[in-house]
Amino acid sequence: MSSVKLSQLVKKYGNLEVVKAIDLEVQPHEFVVLVGPSGCGKSTTLRMIAGLEEITGGSVSIEERVVNRVAPKDRDVAMVFQNYALYPHLNVAENIAFGLRIRKTPKAEVTTMVAEVAEILGLTDYLHRRPAELSGGQRQRVAMGRAIVRHPKVFLFDEPLSNLDAKLRSQMRAEIKRLHKRLEVTSIYVTHDQVEAMTLADRIVVMNDGIIEQVGTPMDLFLNPANTFVAGFIGSPPMNQLPARVGGTAEAPTAEIADQLLPLPPLPELAERIGAQVTVGIRPEHANVHKQGTNPIKVELELVETLGSEALLHTTLAEKPFIIKTETEGYYDMLHDVSSFTVNTDQVKVFDADTGRVFGQGAA
Amino acid sequence: MEKETRLQRIIFHLRREWQIYAMLLPTIIWFIVFLYKPMYGLQIAFKDYSIFRGVAASPWVGLEHFEHLFSNDQFIRAVWNTIKISALNLVFGFPAPIILALMFNEILHATYKKTAQTIVYLPHFISSVIIAGIVITAFSPSVGIVNTVLGWFGIDSIYFLTKPEWFRPIFVGTGIWQEAGFGSIVFLAAIAGVNPSLYESAVVDGANRWQMMWRITIPSILPTILIMLIIRIGNIMEVSFELIILLYQPATYETADVVNTFVYRQGLQSGRYDFAAAAGLFNAVVAFVLVMVANTLSRRYSRTSLW
Repeated sequence: MSSVKLSQLVKKYGNLEVVKAIDLEVQPHEFVVLVGPSGCGKSTTLRMIAGLEEITGGSVSIEERVVNRVAPKDRDVAMVFQNYALYPHLNVAENIAFGLRIRKTPKAEVTTMVAEVAEILGLTDYLHRRPAELSGGQRQRVAMGRAIVRHPKVFLFDEPLSNLDAKLRSQMRAEIKRLHKRLEVTSIYVTHDQVEAMTLADRIVVMNDGIIEQVGTPMDLFLNPANTFVAGFIGSPPMNQLPARVGGTAEAPTAEIADQLLPLPPLPELAERIGAQVTVGIRPEHANVHKQGTNPIKVELELVETLGSEALLHTTLAEKPFIIKTETEGYYDMLHDVSSFTVNTDQVKVFDADTGRVFGQGAA
Repeated sequence: MEKETRLQRIIFHLRREWQIYAMLLPTIIWFIVFLYKPMYGLQIAFKDYSIFRGVAASPWVGLEHFEHLFSNDQFIRAVWNTIKISALNLVFGFPAPIILALMFNEILHATYKKTAQTIVYLPHFISSVIIAGIVITAFSPSVGIVNTVLGWFGIDSIYFLTKPEWFRPIFVGTGIWQEAGFGSIVFLAAIAGVNPSLYESAVVDGANRWQMMWRITIPSILPTILIMLIIRIGNIMEVSFELIILLYQPATYETADVVNTFVYRQGLQSGRYDFAAAAGLFNAVVAFVLVMVANTLSRRYSRTSLW
């Protein structure tokens, strides 16, 4: 049984189709993150699940019940908004209790439930303050408290951390993760920040231009991106992508990048494409500048960005930017002399130059 | 040293922002010429003023005019009438635009909403003279629509505008008809400023439209309501003078004569400028005290104030 199911879900504004027939199943207790660039339809999808947007086509089911025509309040979902949506004229306790009051929960019960939630979120000392007297992180906690107190079937988060500064964001990220572990409520979380997606999600849904590009665990998306979009979106910095021509033989294919040769994994798709254009993908982390391997690829170093334990080497390869991520420990002095790297052949990804689809992953 | 630097700072500021101060200048001049300079003439309230001797040369008489004023039955009646009419205006006239704004906010059909808004804004743009003409015609005992409708139910014609007991309801009602629509614009603007995600969040929490109005819209526009209320209380002594002059007649003085019309009759019609100035000054002082009190109370209890 899935907790939330989207079937062929469509949203159109006039002629503009912002969500294009997407399918998704969210399992009970799962934490799913919808991630993608601005305007990819992720927030619209979330709002359709909440019932704040009309569904143009397809269906949304919550615990096996189609809720297309069900009012938001009867869907048993709770939503946390980007700008907190706290009522400025109510104090923290009243804000948390708002949904319960609306549902005419007995007063004594409301008081205990609010106290319980405040305890979980560390808001006990602030219950009588108004939102204006709270910091951004505290406000976001109140917003979450308002969602938690109702014990909904599903939590919906709409970019809840984007109004916070970087330090607070990583703190709140950990807090959300802890909260999910404790409450185990099915959660759907929208963000444009891939770091947030990687750290929070059980599964990530990468969206782009109204469609789902790939669904998978964070490591799955990182190691096996289904296409060039996902490869360019997940990872920090993202995967390097270079145009190349397939050469060599079916058993030992190579990529011809300008005048250099890079061995490719012997994928069946490549055997039919000797001489064709492809896109070669190499993660910045997989390019090794310390080990002397067999076929070193020459690069021109332009800039060394030191981050502490790691450094980013901005180089060019065949007139395209190519970033290498490497450790600094014990190598710092030689980083400025880097002129080539090696890479494990099985870590090289090959994508169709036209469709952007990766080779070697079947129909995934 | 401290003072000098402060002066320097002001001069530096004036120099840097002179364009902004230049834009402020016409308003300041207007205030000086039309509101502050005439205050010089206020002294005639304490003088035996004669237009031949002029303001400066007229002899001082102390509080004589005020003594006359407070022993004048007509003036006392005018003060009470002012207070009663204003109180009715406040009770019925103040909530009217708020209720209108809340109602407009609930209309979803755009064309219908715009049409309704235009219709209620319109009377504001009509001159009071014409408004009074419409009211007089509507309540006319012979051709008025009101008496015609009453006639259908077998009720005899009522001479509304000559009956003191009808003056206040008609006056307050006319004021609401004329200004409630236009007054609702301020509250509509305040409603438009409410963060939409508050409503979305409330929808997910299960609130219906009625609950959203009471628990979100009204509390959110409360500061605006309070500011408008302060202004309104400050103007309590300023009953719409034109409309009273146009609608009242000696038969209805008993309920219709307010301080402003009293001042007008004494000063301009009877030529008792000093006496009228005393009445007007009294009015202004009361109004000033009311604004101060309302503002202080509002600041203390709701953290909203004009200044």
